[in-house]
Amino acid sequence: MSGKLTLISSATASGASNVSFTSGIDSTYDEYLFFFVNLNPSVTLLEFGFQVNASGQSGFNETITSTTWLAEHSEADATGLEYRTSEDQANGTAYQPFQLNTSNDSDSGISGSMSLFNPSSTTFVKHFYINTNAMGINAGNSSSCNYFVSGYINTTSAITEIDFKPPSGTFDGNIYMYGVS
Amino acid sequence: MHKIVNGQRVELTAEEISQREAEEAAWNAGAFDRAIANLRSDRNRRLAQTDWYALQDVTMSDAMQDYRQDLRDITNGLTTVEEVEAVTWPTKP
Repeated sequence: MSGKLTLISSATASGASNVSFTSGIDSTYDEYLFFFVNLNPSVTLLEFGFQVNASGQSGFNETITSTTWLAEHSEADATGLEYRTSEDQANGTAYQPFQLNTSNDSDSGISGSMSLFNPSSTTFVKHFYINTNAMGINAGNSSSCNYFVSGYINTTSAITEIDFKPPSGTFDGNIYMYGVS
Repeated sequence: MHKIVNGQRVELTAEEISQREAEEAAWNAGAFDRAIANLRSDRNRRLAQTDWYALQDVTMSDAMQDYRQDLRDITNGLTTVEEVEAVTWPTKP
């Protein structure tokens, strides 16, 4: 059945520095879908990011080219829409942020999803897009922060591993990895 | 300190802890740059909302000119994250 989701793996973080999936990403599916549910950081004003590792290589440091957009609306009714040049990458190897300025209030955090396409291809670069919402901070006020990131991992080697983490502290929450038939 | 790998808790090695500490130090060292960049971004957005007052067929009031100048000057003299976070935005006329 086309479009069927198959749960491959899940992770429950509680005070974890990072969450990795080092198995289950292969040629079985053309699309892998990750769901982030209530990722709550221990440090406020924090980014969350991801990186991947290609087959036969070591470390989460593949080359990424990406675009990043932020739409936000604070509880004080301030609004904004902007392209974020601070978080996009041009053949960079940093962790790709998919949220920023996330609050660490107990009722805060990040939820959303990421699609990674055809990671096992040895012909094409690997496209991805991420759409998340967070309770963030805007000028001291809690805000709805919708962050949209898209791009490609600029390698024709198969991607077999992925890692998610904030740049500081730890976090709680759930990440699910599905294969899309 | 630990990580989650394929759903399982794994303690970080000494090498991973050192690497993590270096990452955190780098992140903390960039706190002011991030804060001032966010402030400029917010400032630019507020300026853009009043750009149309500068059109040739619109007369900009003195109050609006002062407001826009205050926005342009809002980063002056800021040297710490605390100062950036304590910024008070001018009131739009």
